[in-house]
Amino acid sequence: MSEMRSLLARAARLGGISGALVLYLVAVGLVLAFAQRNTVTGVVTLGRLMVIAPPLALAFVAAGGRGTFAARLAAGLVTGIISGLITAAAVLFVSSVEVRFILVRISPPLIDFMEFSQGAVPGAAINLAVAIGAGLVGAAVRLIPPRPRRPLVNATLGVVVVSLLEPFLRPRLTDFKLASVARFMFDHKGLTIVAAILVFILFAAFTVGWPILKNNTQRRIAAADPATQATIRGVAILVFILFLLALPQIAGSFLSQVLVFVGLYTLLALGLNIVVGYAGLLDLGYVAFYAVGSYLTALLTSPISSLGLGIPFWIALPIVVLGAALTGVFIGAPVLRLRGDYLAIVTLGFGEIARLLFLSDALKPWFGGVQGILGVPPLFGVTKVSVPILGWELHGPTLTYYPLLGLCVIAAFFAYRIKYSRAGRAWNAMREDEDVAQATGVNTTNYKLLAFALGASVGCLGGAVFVTHLASVFPGTFSITVSITVLSIIILGGMGSIPGVVVGSLALIGLPELLREFAEFRLLVYGGVLVIMMLVRPEGLLPDQARRRELHEAEEETESEDATDAGLERA
Amino acid sequence: MRRSRRLSVVDLVLIALRVVVIVGVVIGSWATLSAGRLNGEQWRDLLVFGVAQGSIYALIALGYTLVYGVLLMINFAHGDVFMFGGMTSFFVADALSRAGFLNGNPLIGMAIVLLTAMVSSAVLAILLERIAYRPLRRAPRLVPLITAIGASLFISNSVRGLYGEQVKAFPALDILKGKFDILGIPVLKTHAVVISAAVIIMLALYWFVERTRTGRAMRAISEDKDTAALMGIDVDRTIAITFAVGGMLAGAAGVLYALVFNQVHFFMGFLPGIKAFTAAVLGGIGNIIGAMLGGLSLGVLESVAPALFLSGLGVPSPNQLRDVVAFSVLVLVLIFRPYGILGRPEGK
Repeated sequence: MSEMRSLLARAARLGGISGALVLYLVAVGLVLAFAQRNTVTGVVTLGRLMVIAPPLALAFVAAGGRGTFAARLAAGLVTGIISGLITAAAVLFVSSVEVRFILVRISPPLIDFMEFSQGAVPGAAINLAVAIGAGLVGAAVRLIPPRPRRPLVNATLGVVVVSLLEPFLRPRLTDFKLASVARFMFDHKGLTIVAAILVFILFAAFTVGWPILKNNTQRRIAAADPATQATIRGVAILVFILFLLALPQIAGSFLSQVLVFVGLYTLLALGLNIVVGYAGLLDLGYVAFYAVGSYLTALLTSPISSLGLGIPFWIALPIVVLGAALTGVFIGAPVLRLRGDYLAIVTLGFGEIARLLFLSDALKPWFGGVQGILGVPPLFGVTKVSVPILGWELHGPTLTYYPLLGLCVIAAFFAYRIKYSRAGRAWNAMREDEDVAQATGVNTTNYKLLAFALGASVGCLGGAVFVTHLASVFPGTFSITVSITVLSIIILGGMGSIPGVVVGSLALIGLPELLREFAEFRLLVYGGVLVIMMLVRPEGLLPDQARRRELHEAEEETESEDATDAGLERA
Repeated sequence: MRRSRRLSVVDLVLIALRVVVIVGVVIGSWATLSAGRLNGEQWRDLLVFGVAQGSIYALIALGYTLVYGVLLMINFAHGDVFMFGGMTSFFVADALSRAGFLNGNPLIGMAIVLLTAMVSSAVLAILLERIAYRPLRRAPRLVPLITAIGASLFISNSVRGLYGEQVKAFPALDILKGKFDILGIPVLKTHAVVISAAVIIMLALYWFVERTRTGRAMRAISEDKDTAALMGIDVDRTIAITFAVGGMLAGAAGVLYALVFNQVHFFMGFLPGIKAFTAAVLGGIGNIIGAMLGGLSLGVLESVAPALFLSGLGVPSPNQLRDVVAFSVLVLVLIFRPYGILGRPEGK
C-alpha cells in the first residue's frame, strides 16, 4: 500500500513540474511562436504539441515506478490531472486579470489559443481534459512492452520531423516538378492527414525493418571474401562523397545557405574540439580566433582595406593560418598555468577584449571600427562558376559550400589523425591527471600551447572562408554568443568526438535555420542544452569512449563504495 | 636544461606583458597628469562614481566568494541572479511609483522594493542550486562550470522571453535628486545612498557569517565538507542557505544598480557579473573582506583608468575602452595574482 502511495506522490510531484513547464513554455513565448506552424494541418500545431508534451512525457516517467498495472496507469492519470489543473487555473486567471504589463507574451491571441477559442471556463475545462488525456496516453505508452513501443514512438517523432521540414521540402518538390506530390503532402505549413498517416506507417515499418535489414547485410558482407568487402566499402564511400558533392544541387539555394552555416560551425567546432575535447582546456574566448581569421583575411585580400594589398585568397590563407596560430600561442602562453575554471574566464576576457578592440575608434584606422572592412573579393575571384558537363550554375552559398566542405573534411581528417598520435595521447594523459602526466614526462606546457595553436588555426579557416562569402567583416559578428554556440555544439555532440561535432552543428545550427520562428529562442535553447546535457548525459550524444569513462569515473567509484558498504553490512 | 629553456619562453611572454602594462600605465598617467586634462573636481566625481559602482560590484562579488567558499565552483550564473533581482524590483517599483506611494513614503517604498528583489533573487539562486548544481557535486570540475554557463544563458534569455527585451526605465525618486554635502564634498544623493546601503548590507553579512550558527556552519563547510558533515552539519541545507544569502546580496545589488543607472535590462547581468567575479578574485576568492575591497578597487579603477591611463596615451575616445580596462584587469589579475591581493599562493 505504501508502495502505491509513494508512486502516486511521485506522480503528483511530476504533475506539478509538468504544469510549471507548460506555464513556462507559454509565458516565455515559445507556444505562441509555433501556434501557426501546423504539424498535421487541421489536427494539431507545433504550439499545441508543446503544451501536450510535458504531461505526456512526465506521465511516461511517472508510470515507470514499481507497482501494479492499474497503479502505474493511475500514476499517469494523477500527473495529467495535476498538470491540467495548473494549466486550467492559469487560463482562468489570465482571462480575468490583465498581466501583460509584466509578462509581455500573454497577449489576447495567446489567451485565445490557450482557451481553444472557446472562452475562459470551457477553455480551462478543455485544457484539463487534454492534460488528463496526455497523462493517460503517456502512462499507457510506458506500459506497452518495448518491442511494439519503439516503432510507435519513432513514427510519431518521424511525423513531427517531416512536418518541420515543410518550408524546405515543399519548394524543393515544386522545383523538381513534383508539385502534385507537394500539394498532396503539405497543406498550410503542415502535413495533410493522409500524408501524416503514410509517414507514420513508413517510419514504423522502417523501425521494425531496419535492424533485420542491417543484420542481414552485415552477415552477408562478413561472409564475403576480403576483396569484395573492400569493393563494397569503396563503393559506399564513393556514393557518400558523390552525395556530399551533389548536396547543394539537391538542396537548393536556401538550404545551401543553411549548409554553409552548418559547415562554418562544424569547422569552428572541430577547432574548439581540439582545445576543449582533446586537451581539456575550456576556452570561452574561441570567437577571438574566428575574428582574427576573418579580419586577417579581409585585411590581406580586400583592395580597399587599410593595407590595400588585395592578395589572392589562396596565397593569403597560409599567412592567415600562421597569424591565427601565433595568436593562439600568444593567448595560450599566459594562461597555461591557470586552473581549468580560471582559464575559462581568462579566455572569455580575451575574447571580449578582441571584440572591443576591433570595434573601437582607437584602432579604426586599421580595422575600420563599427563599419568593419568591405570589398573582400570572392574566394575564386569570380562570383559564378559553371560546371560544364552537369550544367550546374554555382554562385553564392552553392559555391561557398565546396571550399567549406573541403576544409571541413581536411580538418576532420587532421583532427582524427592527431587524436591517435603522440600529441593526442599526451593530451589524453594531461586531461585525466595533469600532475601524473607531467611526472611521466609529458611536457604539458608545450602540448597545451600546441592545442591552442591548432585550435586557433582550424577556427580561423572558418572565419577566412566566411569573410569571402559575405564579402565584408563587421565587429558585431564576433560576440561571446559565437563561443557559447560552438561550445554547445561540442557538448551536445560529445567532447572529443568528431562525428559528434557534425551531429551537434546539424542539430544546433541546421535545425534552427529551418525553423525561423525559433530565431529569438536560440540562445535559450543553447543554455538549456548545456544544462540538460551536463545533468543527463555529460559525454554527449555520440560520445568519445575515453571521455565517457572519465565523466562516469566518480559514479563508478561511489557505486563500488556503496557495494562494499552493502557487503559489509551483510557480513 | 632543455626543459627550463622551453619554459622560459612562457616566462618571457609573461614578463613582456608585465612590462608593457606597467610602462603603459606609468607613461599614460604621467602624460595625463602633466597635461592637466581634468581638474580636481572632475577627478573627485569620477572617484565617487567609482566607489558607488564598486560597492555594487562588491555586493555581487560576495555571492561569488560565498559560493566558491562552500562548493569551490564559479557560479557563472550569479550575474543573472543579480539581473533577476533588478528586473523583479522594477515591476514593484513601477507599480508603487504609479500609485504615488514611492515618492510619498520613499523609505517604506524602497524597503518594499529592496525586499522583493532580495527575495526573488534568493529564490532563483536556491532553485539554481537545487536543479542545476546539486546533482553535479561529485562531477569533474569543468562539468558544473559548463552547467553554470548554460544556466546563465538560460536565465537571461528566459527573462527576455518572459518580460520582453526592451530596456525598462527604473522610476527615479524625487528624494534622491540633487546632491548631499559630505565634509564639504558634494556627492550625488543616489551615490551616497547606494554606498551606505551597500556598507550596511555588507556589515550585516559579516555579522551573519562570523556570529551566527549558520554562518559558523558555512565556514566549517568551506574548511572541509566531509568533516563538517560528520560534526552534524546539514551540508545540503547550509549550501542552499549560502546560495540564498548570495542571491539576497545580488538582488540588493540589482536594485542599487537600477538606482544608479536608472534602467534594467535582461542582459544587464553579464558585464557586472564578470566584473564582480574579477573583484572576487582580486580580493582572493573565498575571502569575504577581500571581495569587498576587490569590488571597491575595481569600481574605482574602471571609473578612473580610461581618463587616467588611456587619454594620456593619446587613445581616441577612451571611454569606449572602459570594458577593455575591466577585462584587462580580469585577465591580468587571473594571470599574475590568481590568489588575490589578500591571499597567498596556493601550495601545490
